[in-house]
Amino acid sequence: MPMDKEISEKRKRQCLKLVEISKDIVRQAFDQFRKEELGITWTGGKDSSLTLWIIRQVCQEKGILLPKTMIIGEGDEFEEIDQFVEKMRKEWSVPLEVCRNEDVLKAANYTLNALIKVKDLNERNRAELQRIGFEAEEFLFEAESYAGNHLMKTVVFNEFLHRHKIKGIFQGLRWDEHPARFDDPYFEHKEGSDLSPEHTRIRPILHFTEKDLWDTYAAFQIPYCVLYKKGYRSLGAKTTSLISVEGFPAWKQDLENTEERAGRRQDKEKAMKEMRRLGYM
Amino acid sequence: MVEMISPGCQRGIPGNVEMPLGVERLPNGNTLIADGGDEAGFGSEIVEVDPLGNIVWNYHKGLRFAHSGRRLRNGNTLITDTTNNRLVELTPDKKMVMSSDHWSGGTGELSDGSHLHYPNEAFEMEDGTFLLTDRNNDRCIQVNREGKILWSFGGKELHRPHNANPLQNGNILISDSDGNRILEVNRRQEVVWSYGDGPTQTLWWPRGAIRLENGNTVITDSKSHRIIEVSPAGKVLWRFQTEHVDKFYITHATKEDTFLIACTDGHHQVIEVDRAGSIVWLFRNYRRPAPIYARLTNGFFKEIGDNGWPKHWVLATRLSEGGGSVVWDQDHKPNPCPGLEYDRSGALFLQQSLAVTPGVTYLVGAEIRTINVKGTACLHLDFFDSHEGSLYHAITEIPSGNLFTGTNDWIHDLFEAKVPSRATLAELRLYINDSGKVFIRNVMMNRI
Repeated sequence: MPMDKEISEKRKRQCLKLVEISKDIVRQAFDQFRKEELGITWTGGKDSSLTLWIIRQVCQEKGILLPKTMIIGEGDEFEEIDQFVEKMRKEWSVPLEVCRNEDVLKAANYTLNALIKVKDLNERNRAELQRIGFEAEEFLFEAESYAGNHLMKTVVFNEFLHRHKIKGIFQGLRWDEHPARFDDPYFEHKEGSDLSPEHTRIRPILHFTEKDLWDTYAAFQIPYCVLYKKGYRSLGAKTTSLISVEGFPAWKQDLENTEERAGRRQDKEKAMKEMRRLGYM
Repeated sequence: MVEMISPGCQRGIPGNVEMPLGVERLPNGNTLIADGGDEAGFGSEIVEVDPLGNIVWNYHKGLRFAHSGRRLRNGNTLITDTTNNRLVELTPDKKMVMSSDHWSGGTGELSDGSHLHYPNEAFEMEDGTFLLTDRNNDRCIQVNREGKILWSFGGKELHRPHNANPLQNGNILISDSDGNRILEVNRRQEVVWSYGDGPTQTLWWPRGAIRLENGNTVITDSKSHRIIEVSPAGKVLWRFQTEHVDKFYITHATKEDTFLIACTDGHHQVIEVDRAGSIVWLFRNYRRPAPIYARLTNGFFKEIGDNGWPKHWVLATRLSEGGGSVVWDQDHKPNPCPGLEYDRSGALFLQQSLAVTPGVTYLVGAEIRTINVKGTACLHLDFFDSHEGSLYHAITEIPSGNLFTGTNDWIHDLFEAKVPSRATLAELRLYINDSGKVFIRNVMMNRI
């Protein structure tokens, strides 16, 4: 649906420049790796969807199909995201693989908050839990738990890389999303280990701020999931993502002065300001 | 399997200077250092070292987080025994000849009915009385050996002060630390000079100020890891600043026009710098008590140490002002989980030290539960350089999880932290300030 946001010609040129920088990163990736060795991670969210759109543009220039694309089925998705993903998969001919940790889902009987016994999991999953230092015998099937995240996302991601012998994987990360990311490089090589194959992570949209991202969506009429129009600013698991400002589209919220991921957890910045004021820190 | 990168050492070894606070150069050429002790509250002492670094005198009996030791004209040593909220005087053969605990019939009260609360500095005045900085009472006071208050300054003017010292002109120079300013006060309690007025660019938590013979003032600007010399007109004439974050505590000017500086949670040493910024003498004999582990150990708290702490974890009470303890939820399944119980301002930590690699990103996670936390409870991952120097100016800069307050049932708390380029060591900490309880379980930390 068209975004009700006015973008001046000047701003459109700035967004185009940002897109060009991203496309250069993508072109470098295609120079460095064969198309079969590349993969794309996609969540249906705003960052990975923009990344996918940019990669698609480069592919169209080169006259090739999109590389293999993975989406993680963590068992707690918004229906609106599923619908958006299905729509874009068809429209953009995305070679999409929905990757799930079936073993964990089965042990949880496909039910959120079910209790999973570690001994009911397969050897791979048990080895993964041991590797991260998980020492309990059971855990609740929750999206935002350490063990849950690791098995449902990290393990699934590593298996995808291994199965398709992926050497370079595209991710939709941005510098301004998280303080720990602020100096992440465009290309980051990861050494192999027993459970994770050697690969390079490629992040074409690092330099986009949240505002840049939405202005680019508006400038080029790029499709996005309707949840952002309803007021979500950041989308994770359904049970732990909260609307930031009800009824207020993401691009109209105070992007610069409020936290992007606030709707997913307690508002930390606000808590810190309050603690400083009270002199506790 | 427990893998230690370095084993640490016994706590409280006499002579092991863990945290230099007070420092002065004695007429005999030796240096007197007040050592605040280690993070678990052990090892506080007053140490006299000769120019070659030999320890020629030290006193440690019963001291907890002592902030100052000053040599008196009579040869005795006056000590502010901070966490014990007392002032004591020791003879050279370590006999205690005065203790504020004996004031007012053994109650420790001063003549106005108050009790010392976090005394951090004491100087001998011309008339043999003492000028005492009583931090948590936001005042400095002149007292005699019986605890009679002869003069005081504070009230709304001072905010957690440090290092009140008497000047030759009869005035008092005080670091109004939380107010980010230095005050010179006359006997009529009038502020006759000041420097700094709030913004941290001017002064950021100054904890010491001394007047030089040339009329200038040298200020120890702690969180800006520097000392500055300012003229009476307030112009900065000279500065010494380290690149790394070394929160200097106080400075002492020697008669050779060099400056002795106590480096507290920076590099655990006393340095003597000259006007060119060269370090012309240094004393460091710090041996780290806590072991450093290769990876997070006992994060599921299945093992309890003999001291009631979770095994391989340390209860850090240095900043807890005498309060706080580890508590266990014995009903928790499958095994009891630990927590912290606290009841005052100040800070309490349960922590483990880990070796880290620069540039690596870690995902830290745990589950947290809080009960009536009035201040804040959270997880921190604090990073240190190879000299065990802090890399952050203020606690708000340290990578952390969510900040919890009030009462919360078990919540997953996950956060990422990237190891800074100069860091070799990290401390994973459960932190609480003000009153309340916080429990923790299922801690994990892995490279991502």
